Amino acid sequence: MTTATNTTTLENAVKSSPSTLSTLWKMAGSINLSIILLLLLTLDSLVGYFCLDRNPSLFRPMGDMGLMTWIDTYGRHNLAVTGWFFVLLALLFVLCCNTFVCTTDRTLRILRNRKQHSTARLLFRLAPHCMHYALLLILTGYLCSYLFSIVIPTQTLVIGSEYILPNQAGTIRFISFDPVTYNGERLYWLDGNVLSPKATLRLSTPHTEQEAVIGFNRPARFNGYSLHLKNFEPKTQGKMHRKTRIDLHVRKDPGVMLYLAGLILFSFGMVLYGCEWIFFREVSKK
Amino acid sequence: MIAQLRVIIQRLGALLVILLVIAGCKGETDKQAVVEKDPSQPAFLQIGSFSVQHVSPSRTHVRDGAGRTLVLIERGTEPPKNVPATQIIRVPVQSVAAYGYFEVCVLRALGVLENTLVGVTTPANRWFIPEIKQGMKNGKIAFLGDSSKIDFERLEHQHPELVLTWDPAIIPMLDQLGIPCVVTTTPEAMCLNARMRFVQFLAPFFHKEQEADAFFARIRSALDDIRARTVTSTSKPKVMWGDVYEKRVLVEPGNAWVGELVGLAQSDYQFDDIFGTSCIEITLERFLYSGKDADILFTYRTIDSGATSKEALARMNPLIKDIAPLHTGRVYSPKPHYVQSGDRLDEILTEIAAILHPDVYPDFPLQFFNELPDTDPVLAQKENKDDDK
Repeated sequence: MTTATNTTTLENAVKSSPSTLSTLWKMAGSINLSIILLLLLTLDSLVGYFCLDRNPSLFRPMGDMGLMTWIDTYGRHNLAVTGWFFVLLALLFVLCCNTFVCTTDRTLRILRNRKQHSTARLLFRLAPHCMHYALLLILTGYLCSYLFSIVIPTQTLVIGSEYILPNQAGTIRFISFDPVTYNGERLYWLDGNVLSPKATLRLSTPHTEQEAVIGFNRPARFNGYSLHLKNFEPKTQGKMHRKTRIDLHVRKDPGVMLYLAGLILFSFGMVLYGCEWIFFREVSKK
Repeated sequence: MIAQLRVIIQRLGALLVILLVIAGCKGETDKQAVVEKDPSQPAFLQIGSFSVQHVSPSRTHVRDGAGRTLVLIERGTEPPKNVPATQIIRVPVQSVAAYGYFEVCVLRALGVLENTLVGVTTPANRWFIPEIKQGMKNGKIAFLGDSSKIDFERLEHQHPELVLTWDPAIIPMLDQLGIPCVVTTTPEAMCLNARMRFVQFLAPFFHKEQEADAFFARIRSALDDIRARTVTSTSKPKVMWGDVYEKRVLVEPGNAWVGELVGLAQSDYQFDDIFGTSCIEITLERFLYSGKDADILFTYRTIDSGATSKEALARMNPLIKDIAPLHTGRVYSPKPHYVQSGDRLDEILTEIAAILHPDVYPDFPLQFFNELPDTDPVLAQKENKDDDK
């Protein structure tokens, strides 16, 4: 009797599974879910603002050590301040699923009715979905960055010293430091302060040699690695002159290509969307 | 065809969720298998920008002020192969060279100063710590030269197993010499918690965890006492900590331990909204604005650098002569041994609280700070004599 009941339940489950999946699919792609998620994300970010305020030292290592190690150390042991971040990750995951389902649904619907539109119109109608997919790509890129990057957090170099990249991938030699300093009179307290640090590096492999200038927001790329200026000395020209040094942040980031591709796709979608607004909607109004 | 595609995507989604769940469970099991944590020590300790992670009983990872990860291994154990030699430190460390007073004070708090310190960057005549004076006298501790121009040959001769420094610029040279180093400063000022706990960062280097815990407990007890006492105080003074130099105005930011202490002791810190490094540079206007209604000023200058009276400060910096502490308030300067007294942090904190609230600490004897008189005693005597004539 029990065996027979169990078999019936299993059969029912198998029969009902496509509809259950279908209901789940619909729920996952619901616009109501999107709105709830966005509201929750806003609320969570607000909490995050107060947790981040004056606690940067807790979150900064995430960029160096990777997400999983960070979770196992800083994240897990400071839940009162880092809890919002875990909620953020969960919300973003659900938002990604929601966006994927919703966008895929709509894209499939447009493709199903493709014969009703001209090719150009079809392309324009796909523009918002293109941006949604781009957003997913960007978020996936960031996740890859935090999961799979090889990072050398701080490599200090003084003039003449060098650093060999992991697996002998190349040598970085610090050649010179030529900062741009403020020499005006209007902001007298900034007199002699470095406005734009510029460090010249010689990047060499057994076959090639090149020079690169790096500064803040001006990294150099070398053999798959990106070289970022993290800190430098001296910051002023004056009596308390410190020895010239730069701190490099070296990373090999597989996520970069993904989020660059995402950005390009997003821009493309945006342009298409703009064109649709300008041409088709204006035309239909007339 | 579209319907089929939809079913495929649905199934792929379900499969992805199942895989993620399996991967999550597997990851957790693997981690538990690899990490054997010492139950007597916290697995992970964050101290401001520093951290200590006990990976196994014989291996600890520490993150220093420059964000570098150093691996501490027990003497006699096999060093890890994927870590550069200069980032591996064999513990307990038996000889240390220290750049600053702060590092020396931490070594003293841990009780390892006498046995481990072999080099400093301050000449013998500027030390107040008896162990160092004695060590330099008998040649055990060497003066390595000024911190901006270290004599590396002398340093190498002293055979330190570790260098504690605030200056990351020496890292490339030390790497060449094969001497590991720990950067003890960070781009942000140390908060009160980090200042109290810094001993717990250096403790694993010397196997002095218990001493560090005892030190921390002592400071925490002092803070509890300060909190309990000052809460009854009726006054709420406004405090500034900094000074004006020839071209620069330097103050302690609100995130620094002094700023936090002032807040904890029921007082207002005038630079509470400033965030950044210790001794941060601000504009003169901001300093003067905060000085308009401040009650107490702590200056960086000692008597040796001219802080002998309020009048002397005003004479040195005519720009600040109108700030309130120089007229209606009080001004304190650190005594010369203050910077070498970090191992007496509990006493320092209590003394600052006593300065802020003399009503709850009546007749408190000052050991680390001087209250500046209105005028220099010598000048005042001269003026009196002139008046008599």
